[in-house]
Amino acid sequence: MNNYNEVSVLLEKLCSAKGVSGAENKAAQVASELLSKYMSVKIDPLGSVTGTMGEGDTHILLDAHLDQIGLIVTAVDEDGFLKVAKCGGADIRVLAAAEVTVHGKEDIFGIITSTPPHLSKPEDSNKAKGFDEIAVDIGMKREDALKIVSPGDRITFNGSFSKLLGSRVASPSIDDRAGVAAILRCLEMLEGKELNCRISVLFSVQEETGGSGAQTGAFSADADEAIAVDVSFATAPGISSEKYASLGGGTMIGFGPSLDYDMSRRLSEIAEKKNIPNQSEVMGGKTGTNCDEIQISGKGVKTALLSIPLRNMHTAVEVCDLEDIENTAKLMAEYIIERGCSDA
Amino acid sequence: MLEMIKELCTLSGISGRENVVRDYIIEKIKDYAEYSIDPLGNLIVFKKGKNPAKNKVMLDAHMDEVGMMITAITSEGFLRFVKVGGIDSRVMLGRTVKVGDKGISGVVGIKPVHLVEKGQDADIPKADDLYIDIGAKSKEEAAEYIRLGDAAWFDSDFVEFGDGFIKAKALDDRAGCAILIELIRSELEYDTWFSFSVQEEIGTRGAQTSAFTIAPDYAIAVETTTAADISGVKDDKRVCICGEGGAVSFMDRRTIYSRELFDKAFEVAKERNIRCQPKTVVAGGNNAGAIHKSRGGVKTLTVSVPCRYLHSPGCVIKYSDAVESLKLIGAMAEEFAKW
Repeated sequence: MNNYNEVSVLLEKLCSAKGVSGAENKAAQVASELLSKYMSVKIDPLGSVTGTMGEGDTHILLDAHLDQIGLIVTAVDEDGFLKVAKCGGADIRVLAAAEVTVHGKEDIFGIITSTPPHLSKPEDSNKAKGFDEIAVDIGMKREDALKIVSPGDRITFNGSFSKLLGSRVASPSIDDRAGVAAILRCLEMLEGKELNCRISVLFSVQEETGGSGAQTGAFSADADEAIAVDVSFATAPGISSEKYASLGGGTMIGFGPSLDYDMSRRLSEIAEKKNIPNQSEVMGGKTGTNCDEIQISGKGVKTALLSIPLRNMHTAVEVCDLEDIENTAKLMAEYIIERGCSDA
Repeated sequence: MLEMIKELCTLSGISGRENVVRDYIIEKIKDYAEYSIDPLGNLIVFKKGKNPAKNKVMLDAHMDEVGMMITAITSEGFLRFVKVGGIDSRVMLGRTVKVGDKGISGVVGIKPVHLVEKGQDADIPKADDLYIDIGAKSKEEAAEYIRLGDAAWFDSDFVEFGDGFIKAKALDDRAGCAILIELIRSELEYDTWFSFSVQEEIGTRGAQTSAFTIAPDYAIAVETTTAADISGVKDDKRVCICGEGGAVSFMDRRTIYSRELFDKAFEVAKERNIRCQPKTVVAGGNNAGAIHKSRGGVKTLTVSVPCRYLHSPGCVIKYSDAVESLKLIGAMAEEFAKW
């Protein structure tokens, strides 16, 4: 069995670099180091990592977002606990007693408060607490806390990169470091190939807070076509297998009114031709991904979406199958090869 | 003692599966005292003091921690489980766990909030709907690694943070175990009995038999208890406060403590300059509930290390409270022995 060691190491490296929306610097640093193996890299005004290589009539943009969901410090209370708000779509049901890292002047450990049983009625345990009722405990008095932490500091959820059975892994921020990893693997697969097209890469900031990074990055790239790689929902208990993808079932090719139908079809055909495991993801309107911004940037860009199936999205235990990342990379590489050759 | 707390918390021992913890403790105390293991698995220890005791004193701490037990494997290869001990589902969702003797990694899954219906995004799934995902693709694959009845426990490391705080799983009651081990390894004034008990978290079952066997005149339950000294909780609801020393109970849900012993604890603490505090809310319960009713009745005291987020993967104590509790428990054991 393939143990997907290469992509595993890559994903672990990307996931261990922290970058909550609007403060992606550390993740950007790691991603740009990895990308610079293939092309010269720039950081754009919003903080996105960009690069371009090759020449040809067709210019293809590959996008994955760099940011991860987290929390943002809003105040330090009189007992030294940190009051916080969401930064991206954090799930309040997983916050009680969750361990976090506060990215202040230095990175410090914290734990989100959880109400002890004597202060809650039995029926309370069916409801998650809202942000007004929780705080982050950093074990410090207010005066000491203020020396390290300021309002606006970001907070990430702690969680190790855990190997599950087979080629499955669990970690925070697989959304969307898995996409970043897929693009890097795709570039590696393309190394040494003669391509008659131009490829740009965008590791975009602020997807979780509305897609500003993709909108501006796609404008600057000014590509003819774009493929965005994100994560999407995989089945699990209570999640319909008719509507959602199978984990390990292959890359999800997006179909929808806002996605370019010819690109989606071509991706499907190539996947079938090359025996790359894949599944379809059909969306009735917008996609809820960077595609929504990329498509309408500048004069408009033909856009396709490839998604990597994910469980427990927006928690510290996002689960994916490395095989799906690898297959996403393969399909992108084959697509680029075909586009490059057909233009030759 | 800090290193010992760290090592003890890293071990897994849910109620009924305390053997690994017991083996560790035996290794630590075997050169300092006599010990035996009773039919339930309690570790009973006798430590000879410099003098024979007038009264027989028993110190108790429990070895077990809250956790989970696997009850079924679904056709898709997910594991269903039952909670062992009182765990709020809210602290389990989205956590990593270890399962079975091999310590297979898994996660407690949750439906992504994006797929939850509007207005239900704060609803916590029912306990029966919770599951562990070990990455198996089928029931058959999961069954290669997991047997029904396997224990599962929180995967949580030991962290020192802030102003002398530590975070770990199972501080309830490995902090108490560490205090007892420390006493056994020190020179004691009087002969003293110790019980490292099993199955506290499912109803103080171990202490019932160990107290019968030891038949003490006095007992001290060495515990951790809820510290609600957190953001948004007012003074009278805080129970006890991290940094104020061991919490001495006058009443909880299982025991009305001897007022005489409660008062004596504060008297001795004052004399010897030991920091301690009363536990100010009648809540919780511990092995004292079983011990004080043993045989013809046992005068019992509880001293607890204040602990935030009890029964979660991230229990938090202030280390200085464990140190102060150790001093008070040592002093009270002496008092009771000669009382």
